Amino acid sequence: MIVVERLVKNFEVTEKKSGLVGVIHSFVFPKKKIVKALKGISFTISQGELVGFIGPNGAGKTTTLKILSGILFPTSGFVQVTEYTPWNRKPDFLKKISLVMGQKNQLWWDLPASETFELNRAIYEIPKKVYKESLEELVTLLDVRKLLTIPVRRLSLGQRMRLELIASLLHQPEIVFMDEPTIGLDLVAQQVIRDFVVDYNRRHKATILLTSHNMDDLVNLTKRVIVINEGGIIFDGNLQELVKSFAKEKIIRVYISKKIDYKNLQKVGEVKEIKIPQITLSVPREGAALAASELLQNFPVEDLTIEEEPIETIIRKVFKGVR
Amino acid sequence: MTTRRILYYLKIWWLMSKNSFLMFLVQKEAFAIFLFGKILRFGFFISFLYFLLSGSKTLAGYNTEQTIFFFLTFNLVDTISQFLYREVYRFRPLIVSGNFDLVLTKPVNALFRSLAGGADVIDLLMIPPLIAAICFLGIKISPNFLLIVSFVALVLNGLLIATAFHIAVLSLGIITLEVDHTVMIYRDLLNLGRFPIDIYREPLRGILTYLVPIAIMITLPAKALIGLASLKGILVAFLIGSISFFVSVRLWNFALKKYTSASS
Amino acid sequence: MKRYFTIFKISLQQEFVYRLNFIMWRVRNVIQIFLIFFLWDSIFSAPNRVLFGYDRAKILTYVLGILVIKAIVFSSRTVDVSGEISSGALTNYLLKPVNYFYYWLTRDLSSKLLNLGFAVIEFGILFIILKPSFFLQTDFLVLLAFFISLAIAIFLFFLILFITSFIPFWAPELAWGAQFIVIVIISEFLSGALFLLDILPKAFHEALYLTPFPYLLFFPLEIYLGKIAGLRIVRGIIISLLWSLVLWILMKSIWFRGLKVYRAEGR
Repeated sequence: MIVVERLVKNFEVTEKKSGLVGVIHSFVFPKKKIVKALKGISFTISQGELVGFIGPNGAGKTTTLKILSGILFPTSGFVQVTEYTPWNRKPDFLKKISLVMGQKNQLWWDLPASETFELNRAIYEIPKKVYKESLEELVTLLDVRKLLTIPVRRLSLGQRMRLELIASLLHQPEIVFMDEPTIGLDLVAQQVIRDFVVDYNRRHKATILLTSHNMDDLVNLTKRVIVINEGGIIFDGNLQELVKSFAKEKIIRVYISKKIDYKNLQKVGEVKEIKIPQITLSVPREGAALAASELLQNFPVEDLTIEEEPIETIIRKVFKGVR
Repeated sequence: MTTRRILYYLKIWWLMSKNSFLMFLVQKEAFAIFLFGKILRFGFFISFLYFLLSGSKTLAGYNTEQTIFFFLTFNLVDTISQFLYREVYRFRPLIVSGNFDLVLTKPVNALFRSLAGGADVIDLLMIPPLIAAICFLGIKISPNFLLIVSFVALVLNGLLIATAFHIAVLSLGIITLEVDHTVMIYRDLLNLGRFPIDIYREPLRGILTYLVPIAIMITLPAKALIGLASLKGILVAFLIGSISFFVSVRLWNFALKKYTSASS
Repeated sequence: MKRYFTIFKISLQQEFVYRLNFIMWRVRNVIQIFLIFFLWDSIFSAPNRVLFGYDRAKILTYVLGILVIKAIVFSSRTVDVSGEISSGALTNYLLKPVNYFYYWLTRDLSSKLLNLGFAVIEFGILFIILKPSFFLQTDFLVLLAFFISLAIAIFLFFLILFITSFIPFWAPELAWGAQFIVIVIISEFLSGALFLLDILPKAFHEALYLTPFPYLLFFPLEIYLGKIAGLRIVRGIIISLLWSLVLWILMKSIWFRGLKVYRAEGR
C-alpha cells in the first residue's frame, strides 16, 4: 500500500554565472531560485497494482520515486509506503522495497554478476532456500544463465539491465520502483523488460511503480496510469481511457525517394511536417495500419515508421482537456 | 549495536573486500606494478633516511633507529587506513553518476558502504612486513611492556582519527562534489608525519597537533614507545580521537540530510 | 610557428578553467616544500653546521630552489598523453598538421610558465615567512651554466615522460602504474627533490650521475650553489646532453613502432 497526500517538493538552486567575475559574484551574493518539482500531488496505490507514471522530462516522476524510496526528503506532505515513512530509511523498510534506475548500476563492474548477487544476499539477509529459488526463477525468466559468469563490463546494455533487475529482485521486495527501466535499450531489449515486468507482477503480486517518458512502455504494460506534468498530476486512471481520449492519433513518418504530389498525401492523413526526404503525417489510431499500407503502395516510400504521438503532445492535450 | 548487527556488518565487509580482491586478480599486472612502486618508494625513503642520519647523527634529537621508527609508524597508520578506506577514492564517481542513490536504498548503512566497501589488497600485502619491521625495531628501542601497550593503543587511536578524516572527506564530497583534492591534501599533510613533528616550527606544529592532528596520529605513538609521552598527552590524544570521530559522524549525517533534500 | 603560439594560449586558458585543480596543485606543492624545508632546517639548526658540503644558507636556498625548479622542470601536461593513446583520442592529432611532439612540448611550456609564476610568488611568501638565510649566486658564467642545465633538464624530463606515455600502445592497463613509478620515484628521490644526493655514499653518488635523473633538478641546483665548478660542470652538461640524444632517439623509435601498432589495432 502506498499513500501519498499533498506531497510538495521544492529544490533550492543557486544560479551560477560564468567567467571569473561571475564566479566571485555568485560566491559573495548567491542568488537562490526555488524550483517547485512537486506541487502537492496525491494518490493511492494498492498492493499488487502495476502503475505507470508518465510525463515529460522534468515533470517530477523521478523525484516522486526518490521520495517514495526514501532517497529524498519532501518539503511537506504525507507519504506512507507499506507501514513506513520512507525517508527514515529503516532497514526493515528497505528490505521490502527495491529501486531500479535505468542506466544506473549496482552491479560491480569488473566482476561477474553472480558476485553482486551473493553480496545482495548477505545485505538483504535472504535465507539460502529463498535465495536459490528466487535466483533460479529470475535467471530463467530473463534468460541470462550464460551471462552470470561474464564480467559485467563486457555485456551489452540490454544484458546488463536484465542482470540489474535480478540483483534488485532477489530479495523478493513487496514494492518495486522502476525509473526509466527501458531507457537506452533497443526495441527488442525494451520488450523483454516489459514482458518481464508484467510477468513478475502477476506471479509475485508485487506492487510495481514504473516511470517513463516513453508511451510505448505503458501501452501494453500498465492498466493504470498517472500522468504528471510540471509537478502536478493531470490524469490518474485507466490507460485505455487515456489513450482513447487523448492519444487518438498515431504518427507515421515516411522517407520518400522521389518527388511527390503533397496533395495526394493529404488524402491519407494530416501532414504535420515536411523535411525532405522525411514527411510526418498523423492518422487516426485505428486506421494507422491501413494508412501505412496505402502509403507503401501508392508512394515512392523508402522507409516508414509508425509511432505513438510524442508524450508531450498527448500531455498537452490532457492538460488542455482536449479530447 | 547488537552482536548480530556487528556480525552482519563483518560479513558484508568480508564479501565486499572479497569482491575488491577479485578485481585485483582481473588486473594482476597493473597491481603488481603498483605494489612494486610502493615497495620501491618505501625502500628509497628508508635508505635515504639511513644515509642522511649517518651524516647528521640526529634529527631533532632523535637517533637513526628512532627516526626510522617514526617513519615506520607513519607507514603503519597510512597503509592500514588506505587498506580499509580505499573506497573513499571512488566516492566521487559514485555520487556524480547517481549510483549513490542506489546505495541509499539498501538496508546497509550508506556510510559504511562508502567508507569501507573496497579494501585495497596491495596495501594489505604491505601490512604484515610493516608490522614485523615495527616489532623488530620497537623491541630493540624499548622492550618495556607498558610502553608497548601505550604504543598499540595510540596507533589504534591514530586509526580512529584517520577514520574520522575519511568520513569528513566523504561528507564534504556529498556537499561539494569535491573529493579528490580533499583527499590529496589530507595525504600531503599526513606525509608531513613521516618525520617527527618536532622538526616543524610554530605555527605549523600547532596546526599539526590540534587542528589536523598528525602529531597525535603518528608522532605520539612512536614517542610513547620511546618513552617520551606524558600521561596527560596520551589522555588528551584519546580525547581528541573520540571527539573527532563523533564530530565526523555528525558531519556525515548533516551532509546526508542535505543530499536527501537537494538531489535532483 | 603561429600554430604553436595558439596552442600555447589555449593550453593556458584551459588551466584557468580548471582553476580549483590548479590552486589545489599549488597548495600541495607548498605543503610538500614545508616538509623538506623543516627537515633540513632542523638538521642545520646549529648555526655554523656544515654537513655534506652544505651550510645553512646553502641548504635552505636549495630547498626553496626545489620549489622553483620543480615548477619549471616537473610541471607538465604531458601526463595526459597516455590517456589519449589509451582512449584513441590520439587519432584526432594524427589527422591534423601538428607535430605531436611539439604540440605537447608547447603545452608543457605554457604549463611551466604558469607554474613558474605561482612558484615565484610562493617563493616570495615563504621567504618572508620563514626568513631563511639565502645564498645569492652572482657569478655570471655560473648563472649561464645554471640556465643551460635547466633547459636541458626541461627537455630531459619531457622525453622521459613522453617515453613512459607510450606504454599504452602495447599495454593500456599498465600505463598508470608505470607512470606512477617513473614520476614518483624520480621526482621524489633520484632527482634530489627530497633528499640531497650528497648524502649517498660516494659509489652510489657517482653511479647516479651516470643516469639522467640527477640532471633534472640536483645538478642545476648544485651549479647555482657553486658546489661544483669548472670541469665538473662541463662534464655534467655533456652527460646530460648525451642522455638527451639517447632518449630522443629512443623516443622516436618507440613512437614509430607504437604508431604502427596503433594503426593496426584501429583504435
